[in-house]
Parts: sequence; C-alpha cells; structure tokens
Amino acid sequence: MLLEIENLHASVEGKPILKGVSLAIAPGEVHAIMGPNGSGKSTLAFVLAGREGYEVTEGSIRFGDEDLLAMEPEERARAGLFLAMQYPVEIPGVGNLYFLRQALNAIRKARGLEEISAAEFMRKAREEARRLGIGEDLLKRDLNVGFSGGEKKRNEILQMALLEPRLAVLDETDSGLDIDALRTVAEGVNRMRRPDRAFLVITHYQRLLEYIVPDVVHVMVDGRIRRTGGPELARELEERGYEGFLGRLAA
Amino acid sequence: MAVVASRRRRVDPDPSFFALHRAIAPQLWGGAEWAALRTRALERFRALGIPTRRDESWKFTDVVRIVNRPMRPAEPRPLPFAEVRPYLLGGSEAVRLVFLDGRLVPEWSRTEGLPAGAIVESLADTARTRPEALARALEALDDGRAFTALNAAFLDGGAWIEIPEGVALAAPLQLLFLSAAREEAVMAHPRCILRVGRNAALTLLETHAGLGEGAVLANVVLQLALGEGARLDHDRIARAPRGHALLVKLDGSLGAGARYRQTTVVVGGALVRNEHEVRIEGPEAECLLSGVAMPRAGEQVDTLVRLHHCAGGSHSDQHFKSIVEDRGHHAFAGKIIVHRGALKTNAYQKNDNLLLGADAEVDTKPELEIYADDVKCSHGATCGELDASALFYLRARGLDPETARALLVYAFAEEVIARLTEPSARAFAERMLLERLGSDFVSPESELLAEAR
Repeated sequence: MLLEIENLHASVEGKPILKGVSLAIAPGEVHAIMGPNGSGKSTLAFVLAGREGYEVTEGSIRFGDEDLLAMEPEERARAGLFLAMQYPVEIPGVGNLYFLRQALNAIRKARGLEEISAAEFMRKAREEARRLGIGEDLLKRDLNVGFSGGEKKRNEILQMALLEPRLAVLDETDSGLDIDALRTVAEGVNRMRRPDRAFLVITHYQRLLEYIVPDVVHVMVDGRIRRTGGPELARELEERGYEGFLGRLAA
Repeated sequence: MAVVASRRRRVDPDPSFFALHRAIAPQLWGGAEWAALRTRALERFRALGIPTRRDESWKFTDVVRIVNRPMRPAEPRPLPFAEVRPYLLGGSEAVRLVFLDGRLVPEWSRTEGLPAGAIVESLADTARTRPEALARALEALDDGRAFTALNAAFLDGGAWIEIPEGVALAAPLQLLFLSAAREEAVMAHPRCILRVGRNAALTLLETHAGLGEGAVLANVVLQLALGEGARLDHDRIARAPRGHALLVKLDGSLGAGARYRQTTVVVGGALVRNEHEVRIEGPEAECLLSGVAMPRAGEQVDTLVRLHHCAGGSHSDQHFKSIVEDRGHHAFAGKIIVHRGALKTNAYQKNDNLLLGADAEVDTKPELEIYADDVKCSHGATCGELDASALFYLRARGLDPETARALLVYAFAEEVIARLTEPSARAFAERMLLERLGSDFVSPESELLAEAR
C-alpha cells in the first residue's frame, strides 16, 4: 500500500471533525472521496499535508514505509506527497517560476538528485504550462497574484506535474472551474497516471469524475467513510443527491 | 524633581556643544557674516533645546540619551579607498560627491561631464560665488527643529547643486555620506541644497554608510526644490552600524507638474531617523514616497512625513514598510495636510509592518488634515506576523521553514526595493537585505543572474 489511513480522528480548535477514517490506496490507483459540505473532506486533505492546527487525536497514517504523522509538511512533500489546494495562497513578491524552481530543487535535493539547470527547468515548465493552457505571462507573474480561480487551479496542476509526486491529493480542484478548464485540468491529471503513482480526488460533485475516472469511490459523511464502491457509486450519488443517499443510509 | 523633569518637552543641550562652538567655529570657512549666521543658529539651538519624548514628534524616540553628550567633529583620518569603493553607486559616469565625517573629499568625488550651466560645488565655494543665495536658502529653512539649527551652527561640509532649466542629467548624481567611528563620540553636520530647474530631470542617489561601531551622530539636512515640470528620482540607502545615529531632515518643494519619486531602504543603527517635510506648491504635481526599514535588536528607525498639498490637482502616494526583528523598533508618523484651495487632490498613505518576534516594537501614527473640498485621501496601517497560510503553502511544496520565512520576508521588502530606480542602488539594497536574511538564502535576483548566464 502507498497510503494507509487507520481509524483517523482529528480535531480543529478542539472540535472533532474526523471520527474514525480508514482508507488504503495502492500505487497506480485513483480514489475519490465525495461528501457533502462539512463532512471533513478538506480536513482530511490538510491532515495529510500536515497543516498546523489540525490535531490528530487517534489513529495512524502510513505513507509507504513511513509514519506520515511524524513528518513535517516539507518532509511529506519531499517524500512525494502533493496537495493541490482548494484555495491556493497568493504570495506577492514571489515569482511563480522562481517558486516552482525552488520547490522542485528542494524535492530533487531530498531525493539525491542534482539541482535542475535553469534551461532544463524552463523547458519543462513551458512545456507543461502549454499543455495546461497557462500563458507565459502567468508563469512570470507573482505566485497566484491576480490569477482567476481557474488559473490558480491550473497552476496547482502545473506544480504537481513538475514535482512528480507519488501521491497527489486534489482538494476540490474542480470548484470554480468551467467545463473547458475542468477538462484541461482532468487531462493534466490523466497524463500523470502511472503504475507507481496514486491520486486521492476530493470533490463535492460527480462531474470531475467523468473525466478522471476513479478506481474506488468513498462517501464521507460526518467525519466517517460511510460507503466505498466503484465509479457507479458516484453516479448513484449524483442521481439521488446527498440527502436521498443519507436518507437511505439512515433507513 | 524627576517627575517634573520627565514632563519637559525639551532639555538644555549639553554645555559641551557651546564650548566646542567657541573653539572650532572661528576655524570654519567664510568671513564674519558666516560666523554670525552660525552663532545665530547656535543660539536658536540653545533656545529650542533637545526634544524629549514629551515633544509630540519625538514621542517614540529617546534622542536625548543618544545625542545630548560631548561629541566633536572627527579628526580627519585617512581611509583606504577600498573601504569606500563598495558604496560607489551609479556607474562610471555618475557625478559624485563623497563626504567623509561631514567633509567633502575631492579625490573621491567626480564632477566631470556636467552639462553647461549645471552647478555641483561645495558650500564653501557657494559662500564665495553666490553668498546671498546661500544665506537666503539657509535662513529660509527655520523649521523649529533643534537639529536643523545645530546643523547650521556647525555649517561646514555640504554642497550646492543646480540643474538648469530643461537639462536632463544622463548619469545619476550620488551623494555619499560616510561616517567613521572613532574612540570618542563624533558628530558631523553636512547640508546639501539641490535645485532641479524647470523641466530638468535628475536621478539622485543618496547613500549613508557608517564605518565601524561606535558613537557617531550624522546630522544631515537636505533642501530640495523642484521647478515646474521637473523630475527627480531619489534613491536613498542607509546602512548604520551599532552605535551610529543618523538624523536626516529632508525639506522639499514641488512646482507645478513636477514629479518627485523617493524610495528609501534602511538597515541598522542605534537610531536612523528620516524626517520629510514636502510641499506641493504647484498644481498637477506628483509625489511618491516609499521605504522599507529593517531594525533588529537594539536598533530603531523613525520615519516621519509631513506632506503638504498646497495646490490642486496633485497626487501623492506614500507606502512605508518595516520588518522588525525581536527588540527592534520602528516608529512611523505620517501626516498629509491638504490646504485650503487644493481641490481635486489625491493623497494616499500606507504603513505596513511585519513583526518577526514577540518583542518587536512598532508605533504607527497616520494622520490626515483636510481643509479643501473634492479630494480623495486615504491612509491605513497594518502590523502583523508572517502569513501562516503562505508559510504552510511554501512548506507543502517542499521548502524548509527557514527558506520559506526568508522568502516571504524577502518578498515583503522586495516590493519597495524594486522601486529603486537606479540598478546599482537596487542591487546594493538587495545585497543588504540578503545579508539580513542569512547567507543560505538564494535570492530571485541571483536566480535570474544564473539564468542569464
């Protein structure tokens, strides 16, 4: 297994949000977590990435051979975990390209690789940016500053493509995207699917999963995974809505 | 009684100021009229006294402790050129006046290649060539400030600069003030008077560099006048070692349609205080002031601005920042005064402070006084720590916390540093900032240089 979450409980400001999540992802797999707002999906994403203020009170997370919860956020990134954020942060004064290269070199260094040359980096960055429909001007701007919602999401996928993680967690990457942008982003993810790389796609809607077809779908409700199934589960949710689905669970 | 003493707005200057004046004033340049001018200024200084924290404009600053003690002009002492070279900015064509301990050093200065009609000369020369103009200029600036009077009382080194109508100086003009610490406390009082004529243009690099740690007071006065349609880009850099106090008073006036743009970067010092009094006297003028100060433990930087809009249709924008480490102190007091009749004025002011420690100290006092209708004015101030979500974002991409922090601090300062107009000044300020951030940090600038190779 690449990622094994067992009985994970987590609180934010003393309030329990995750109440016993268990989940295992093998290399090569794409898992989706669906759920209504407030079910704890984004909390799970931040706990995986190691954000301060998200306190794990019980349970464990193994990432490959390592205890993920014992690692700092940057150690997790260097070990191959990537979180595409729902709300990427704007950082004035830090150039997008400069940041990308700093991040890539930090991760390469941790993997025992040489720093990437400026020319090679520029070639790769431009190539990926072109595929994602990110213009040269966005590459040269300050990190996420003045980017539209869609541009920020594409920029997250660009980072993912350059950093080549083992596990990519996409937190509501589809929110705020129009249909063209959604397709572009999904293609960016699909291009990266490999036998040794896994994805955890967090989404509220089924729409994204038409383009990124998951192997496994989990439904999270109130901090727990209530059902796990194949792609058909996503369609069922779409048809019945969360309320109908929850009603059936309760019955 | 101690309580009574602490309530006084000023204290008497140390008697050594007057004894020293008696001893050295007769040796300074000029005849009886200049001696009389210095003596009048000394009496003014005596009457004004040294301001305490009871004085509103010194509320955040204990200057008595720093300056009210015996000090004397530094004995001339040779300085290897190698110590001066790092501070020479503006390229090989720059016009340059270098002051060491307040005295002009001709061998390090350069006034070749000036266009016809331009004047760059020492004040001692001005006292001979146009004494009335100099006397008028000196007497015109009576701002009720003790240190301005003290500067006139010890009037010695300084420069008179005039850029004639319609002339744009191709190369920058650098005013470099070096202050070297001695065994005993020393002081210097240089004054520069700069006039940029109608439709003339100039890039001015003002550099203050302290050499060695020790008790030093550099008490500088700059008088700037921009004629109608004149342009002045003013890059200011100050680096002060431990123990140095640098007080700079800038008095400026802008004619109709003039454009003044100033950017200041300050590192270090027991006290670095930049005081601005700028008057927009003609319509449609523009005044942009920005700066970043980086005080750390035991250091204080004061930024004071009084900006007068006396004529309508003019625009001013101030953006001052500080990065304050533990036990560093930044005090900002900025006032915009829109005078009666200055219609359609746009005036903005912003003060952003980054606190990098529980004992970092920031005082900020933005003020607006508006006596005209139909104006747009705003001011605001922020104090905060580094943004936690930005730090997390960078770490989640693999950057270690030290690099992430340095990058965010760098970015905060860079917004101001990027406004320095002259490339060598910008590069110098970048290096100063990187020294502050620690040597491991790879700056975007050096990245770009690497890419260019």
